[in-house]
Amino acid sequence: MTELGEYALWIALPICIWGGVLSFLGGRWQRGDLVLSGERSLYAVLLLTAIASLGIIAAFVGNRYEYWYVYNYSSRDLPTYFKVTGLWAGQRGSLLFWALNLSFFSVLAVWFNRRRNREFMPYVTGTLLSIIAFFLVITLFITPPFEQLPFAPMDGRGLNPQLQNYWMTIHPPTLYLGFTAFTVPFAFAVSALLTGRLDARWIQLTRRWILTSWFFLSLGIIFGMRWAYEELGWGGYWFWDPVENASLLPWLVATAFLHSIMIQESRGMLKVWNMSLVVLTFLMTIFATFLTRSGLIESVHSFAQDLVIAYTFLGFMFVVGAGCAWLIVKRLPEMRSERTFDSFFSRESAFLMNNLVLLGSAFAVMWGTLFPLFTEGLTGSKVSVGPPFFNQVNIPIGLVLLALMGVGPVIAWRKASARNLKKNFTGPLLVGILSGVVLWFMGTRHTQALLTFTIGIFVLAVIVVEFWKGTRARARIENENPFTAFVHLVRKNRRRWGGYVVHVGVVIMFMGFAGAAYDQEVRQSIEPGETISIDSPFGHTYDLRYEGLSTAADPGHSVQWIATMSVEKDGVFVGSLNTERRLYLAQGQPVTEVGIRSTLMEDLYVILATLDDQVGMGTDPRFHRATFQVLVNPLVPWIWYGGLILALGTLIGLWPGGSVPGARRPGQLAGQAGGSGGSGSSPPPPTPPRSTPPPSGSDGPRREPPVPAGASS
Amino acid sequence: MTLVLAILLTVGAVAAIFHPLLTGKAAPMGAMDDEVTDVQHRKRMALLSLRDVEYDFHAGKLDETDYRALKAQVSAEALAALDDEARELATSAGRAGRSGARASAAQADVEAEIAALRASIRHGAICMQCGHPNPRASRFCGECGSAVTPASASGSPASGGPPA
Repeated sequence: MTELGEYALWIALPICIWGGVLSFLGGRWQRGDLVLSGERSLYAVLLLTAIASLGIIAAFVGNRYEYWYVYNYSSRDLPTYFKVTGLWAGQRGSLLFWALNLSFFSVLAVWFNRRRNREFMPYVTGTLLSIIAFFLVITLFITPPFEQLPFAPMDGRGLNPQLQNYWMTIHPPTLYLGFTAFTVPFAFAVSALLTGRLDARWIQLTRRWILTSWFFLSLGIIFGMRWAYEELGWGGYWFWDPVENASLLPWLVATAFLHSIMIQESRGMLKVWNMSLVVLTFLMTIFATFLTRSGLIESVHSFAQDLVIAYTFLGFMFVVGAGCAWLIVKRLPEMRSERTFDSFFSRESAFLMNNLVLLGSAFAVMWGTLFPLFTEGLTGSKVSVGPPFFNQVNIPIGLVLLALMGVGPVIAWRKASARNLKKNFTGPLLVGILSGVVLWFMGTRHTQALLTFTIGIFVLAVIVVEFWKGTRARARIENENPFTAFVHLVRKNRRRWGGYVVHVGVVIMFMGFAGAAYDQEVRQSIEPGETISIDSPFGHTYDLRYEGLSTAADPGHSVQWIATMSVEKDGVFVGSLNTERRLYLAQGQPVTEVGIRSTLMEDLYVILATLDDQVGMGTDPRFHRATFQVLVNPLVPWIWYGGLILALGTLIGLWPGGSVPGARRPGQLAGQAGGSGGSGSSPPPPTPPRSTPPPSGSDGPRREPPVPAGASS
Repeated sequence: MTLVLAILLTVGAVAAIFHPLLTGKAAPMGAMDDEVTDVQHRKRMALLSLRDVEYDFHAGKLDETDYRALKAQVSAEALAALDDEARELATSAGRAGRSGARASAAQADVEAEIAALRASIRHGAICMQCGHPNPRASRFCGECGSAVTPASASGSPASGGPPA
């Protein structure tokens, strides 16, 4: 299987190039046979990259250590499921995995559009195949996963212990799915530029792709945070590590794009802006890979520095960026806005502000991430900016963004008057301010945290009022009970209400982040029988009694030292938890496995920092003295709950049906509120019984109004 | 065995890729009949905007003065888009050179629809559910069957005003 995989990879590249060239030529010459040949090339590339990937997995599972990649990332004692993850454990497999994911999404895009939107498809296929070809070239000529050693070692060097965690099976693939899925909207954008179909059509066709990519990107980032929280053992979930930042960059730009496309769809504005954002988001996904794979900036994720890869990626980004910029400039006259901003106090302005803030944040993150490179270029030595810089810049930006989430839903398109602003904002503002005052009196004195809670509660109040108004109106008009009215309300316009649910998730996550202002930490060396006490910011005290140390061994793989702590909350026993140090024998590297006791409001987080005596396992407690780092992390669970809500909201928006523009049955004209990205708490649609007579005056000769055929996105 | 599989894989892939070139089998290239033109898209956007103005007014986000001014402005845009669509239809019919009773009847249908849309835009009976512009005083939408609320049916907010 492995040999077949290597062969498949070699024939995938010429087929990919052939298909790409034929697709572009087919589009240019309007030759359907060339286009069909190009599309079939894409299907073949998916099959071949899948075989190549299976070949790598087979090499890992079959302990084929004559392959350099398997030798360096596996060992005989590694559990099988970690061997399967070997495909993306190292650089060489990761880039093949990227090509596989991209081929998969490309085939989906072409298959769904095999009988519609055909004017776009030759260039879409050509663009997708060109990008896959780039990754195949790197995989074959720079980071060959099938490269063989001159001899066949009996065993491998093993997998990095920090990667031997179940999140390894989930986090990287999720993030890759997000990165690669965004290539499809990019390909449609390039096609729109090449064909001159520059209205909102390409956006309608790719809306689901954008949301899918955003869904996976969001989940990938959250999974990464959870992995860091559980595995790295420093008590936090985000360290502003360059590769963490690199995954955040496309997310920030894609979030801006998700909002600004609504303006183009409903108002015909910001066409150049949207085109630029989709290109920028795609470039950011490539930049993330560049940063991880080049090793130019030190990171917990990075591989060894590889200047060939660095220059190859830089060259690719330059070609794509310059090519797209040239196309955009060439098409500028055709991308003039159909309208102008009517008022600063309008939803368009709020969305534009949201875009500027998100891009400002992206710029700040990028600046901080690349700062070591700049300083090295200027002074010869790398100077890094740490979390304080990122926090100082991004917390105010995040607060503005949070506030805009409350403004957007209740402000009218085009123009909002002072009277109506007052009417819509007074209630939620009062709720937010009142909550802030109550929190202040309860002891929340940290300014940024207090602002986060106050603004967050304001946003939640806005969203609750929106749901309440919509449900009430629907219940009244349709004579439905409130629950049914609520369900129908969401079903009728999944995009808008799903978006509100996403906002709820984001607010809850922000509140979880703000909890870090009240983290408590104690570090203490104790013997069995002794106790560590730590106060929670919620007023109670935890007492952790060190019960003892035990050992466990996975022969030939690892040895574990497990400390057991019994936990009392205000003197009442609430449970026990284990925290470990694990020594992986192949690497000789100790790893911390933290003990976490999670409740709704906080995490009790215990790290076995050091063991004074790892060998003397006698019964004397003095042999078992250990240093523990104990933290109380308030509201951290809210980050994970918020992430779940965010995912749920995105799924609601993604779910087929509802009022997705371009996905409605033929004959419906303009669609429902979702078509314009939602416009507040509009009265929901009444649906008369089927026996309702036709409306007066509408029984004349009729023709079904045209609808966009973009049901495929 | 691996070599045989590799050869079969290559032959299969190459055969599938070259098949359209050898047999002339082609992927569809042009827009399908049910796909929108740029002009139709502009019309759709104009009608969406009209609906948004109605929604915002009913949601209490626009006061009456702004509602009237905006509605007049958006209505003018929608009417211009309808004119463009009518011209496009006339041009395409002329280019196709179709004649005969069936083509004339289809053209007449389209013109009647455009006329109905114009009339309904002027009178403002936009459906809150699907955005379809209905004739004045309609109680139910001709497109989706939903009840057309009094304010939009009468074309005047004075009859009700926005809900609280």
